[in-house]
Formats: sequence, C-alpha cells, structure tokens
Amino acid sequence: METGFLQEQKVLEGDLNSENSHQNSVDFLMNWFRKQSIFVLAYGTGCGAIEMPPTFTSRYDAERLGIRGAATPRQADVIIVSGYCSYKTLRRIIRTYEQMSNPKYLLALGSCTVNGGMYWDSYNTIKKLEDYLPVDMYVNGCMPRPESILEGFIALQKEIGEGKASSWQKYEENYEFYRKNQEAVLGKKVEPSYEADWYLYEGGL
Amino acid sequence: MFSEIKNRFATDDVEVKRKGLYKVVVKHERLFALIVMLKEMYDYKTLNTITCTDWIEEGHFALTYIMTTLKRNETFMLQTMILREEAHTKSLSYLFKQAQIMERDLHEMYGIKFEGNENLKELSLENWVHTPPLRREFDTLEFVNNHLTFRDGRDDNIDTKAESKRLRAIKKAEKEAAKKAKESKKAEDVQ
Ligand code: SF4
Repeated sequence: METGFLQEQKVLEGDLNSENSHQNSVDFLMNWFRKQSIFVLAYGTGCGAIEMPPTFTSRYDAERLGIRGAATPRQADVIIVSGYCSYKTLRRIIRTYEQMSNPKYLLALGSCTVNGGMYWDSYNTIKKLEDYLPVDMYVNGCMPRPESILEGFIALQKEIGEGKASSWQKYEENYEFYRKNQEAVLGKKVEPSYEADWYLYEGGL
Repeated sequence: MFSEIKNRFATDDVEVKRKGLYKVVVKHERLFALIVMLKEMYDYKTLNTITCTDWIEEGHFALTYIMTTLKRNETFMLQTMILREEAHTKSLSYLFKQAQIMERDLHEMYGIKFEGNENLKELSLENWVHTPPLRREFDTLEFVNNHLTFRDGRDDNIDTKAESKRLRAIKKAEKEAAKKAKESKKAEDVQ
C-alpha cells in the first residue's frame, strides 16, 4: 500500500471493494492522522515506569514514530498503565482516564496488569486490569523492554489505523459493568478525594 | 548503665548482640520510663523505628523500639509485649516527633491503638474495612480469592511437565532409530 500523499489520494478517490471499505474516507483519514501523532500521558505506576524514559528519549527515540509525551490528561491520547495497580493507584488511574478526551487508548505493560504477575496473592493490587478499564493493547513481560513497548505501540498504531481500537466506546457502552467492578474493590466512592488532609494535617506527613 | 537498667526496669540482663548493639526486654509499664531515662541521661536522642512482631501463638505483639546515640554510635533495642486482643499502648509522640508517623503506620497495619497520638488516620491504605493486613489471622490468599478475579487459563494450555516428557520420549526414540539405522548400514557395508 502506498503511504503518505499517494495513500491520501487513493482514499479520496475511494474504493469500496478495498479491505478498509467499512470506513469512509473521512474516517480513514482521521485514523491515519491519529496514528501518526500519539501523545502519551507522562504517568507511570509500578516498576514498568522505569522503562518509559529510555523509550521516549534518545536511546530508543519513540518520537520518530510520532509518539511523544503529553503533560496533562486532557491533551493525551494514550495512557500507559505500566505495572501493578494497587487500589489506591487504581482510583487515580480511573480518574485520569476519565479526564482524557476521546479518542483515548490504554496500553497495559507487564504481567501484573495481565494477571497479577508476581503480586498474584497480594491483598492490595488488582489482578486483571480489563475488568476495571478497557485495554487496547497488552505488552507482556516482567518488565517489558523498550523494544517491546515500541512493538506494542506499533501494533496499537496499526489498530488505530484500521479503526479497530475503540476501547473508549466500549467503556462508555459498558460503563455499568466497569463501574460495578470498580465499586467491588474500591467501595462506593471510586473517585479519589482531593482534600489533601492526609499530608497537610498537623502531625501528618 | 546496664546494671542500673537491670535493677530498675528489667528482669533479664541487657543482651549485648555485638559491639554497640544492645537489647533488653522490659515490662510494658516500665518501658516509657526507660525510654525517658535513655533519652535524658544517656543521650539516646534518636528514635530510629518502632517495629511490631505478631506472636499469634502466644497471643501477644512484640513491640521493638530502636534508639540510637550518635555520640557513642550505639544502638539500643527495647522490646516489650502487649496483648493482641484490643492491643493498645501509649504514644511516644510527645517525646519524639517521628514516632507519630511510625505509630500511625503500626495502627494501620496491626490495629494497635496508641493513646495520645492525635492522628491515626490511614497512611498508605485507603478506606480499608477488613482486618488490618499484617495481623497474622488475616489470610491474604483467602482474601484475594474472595475479592478479586483471576484470568482463566488459555484453552490450549498444556501441562508443561507432561508435555516435555512426551517431547523427550519422541526425541529419544528418534535418536535410537537413527543409531539403529547407522548400525545396520555399517553391517551392510561390511558384508
Ligand atoms: S510485571 Fe514485573 S516489572 Fe511490571 S510491575 Fe509487575 S512485577 Fe513490576
């Protein structure tokens, strides 16, 4: 398949028999743009976060693929859950994820997000991330090297390009299911409190 | 110093673990007087940590207060036992500021009540309603099985032991067959 300008031209001319005929030209173009510029929220949980700086800096240079950091959830397209999530972290992740604007994608790193990993018998970490948030792409390994992270990103880009990565829609459609699971571990009040009293309190931290 | 401690506070001798590291077991009522004495008279100005060990069989917690003096580079471990049921003791936060957060941690993990500590809110857990997690009657595995879901195994997952056994048997058979073929070929050549 041609890329760049030629591809755009082809899409605009339209071919209903092509493999992407379920997308109309505008969809296809939008997805193509989206996959070329992925802004990743600078946020890490668990040990896998340590592999992200090399991925994004000169050694592995994810920016050559159009993948770069974003400072706030409102500007980001992708959130990486880079390892085990304790209940406390999960609260923050859910809040952050819900703050991100559509379209948004979730990339989960490490075996901890797949099935608890080596924290499988810990009372304080969740085992299966997809019960609580929709996951677009899992990258397994404990911990995944930057090469595998990049591979995961490329696979994600492919899915975005084909219009298949639509976890945010899934989240909206099945919100009750996700919310039920979230409440099962976090209690009725899922959102973290922002009172900050636990460290500002006199004699606090 | 040691004889004084023994006479006034403890039933046992002060144990010298190695040079500059001492340990003594005292009754709970005497503990705070001893801490004050060590602090005021023997320069143990630093409270390093308060640890807790759960002796569930004997029905008590062992609290260990570790104090250091920089002047002589010596460390003192003071151990005391408190009952597990409705465990409570007095707070040290009026003597050492850092005790406040150590006690808060112990309160969270073991459910020990420290009277006089004005902030015993949760430190690293959030909205925890079950048994304090480091008490030994808290069964982690049971908790996980009751509260969390695991991923089912793959449909095509295989018992690795049986599988490797099978593969090894196949390899062995192949090897033997090759050996036999070689031998028979040799015999033919000789003929
Ligand atoms: S998968 Fe391994 S490296 Fe990643 S968070 Fe879990 S224990 Fe840490």
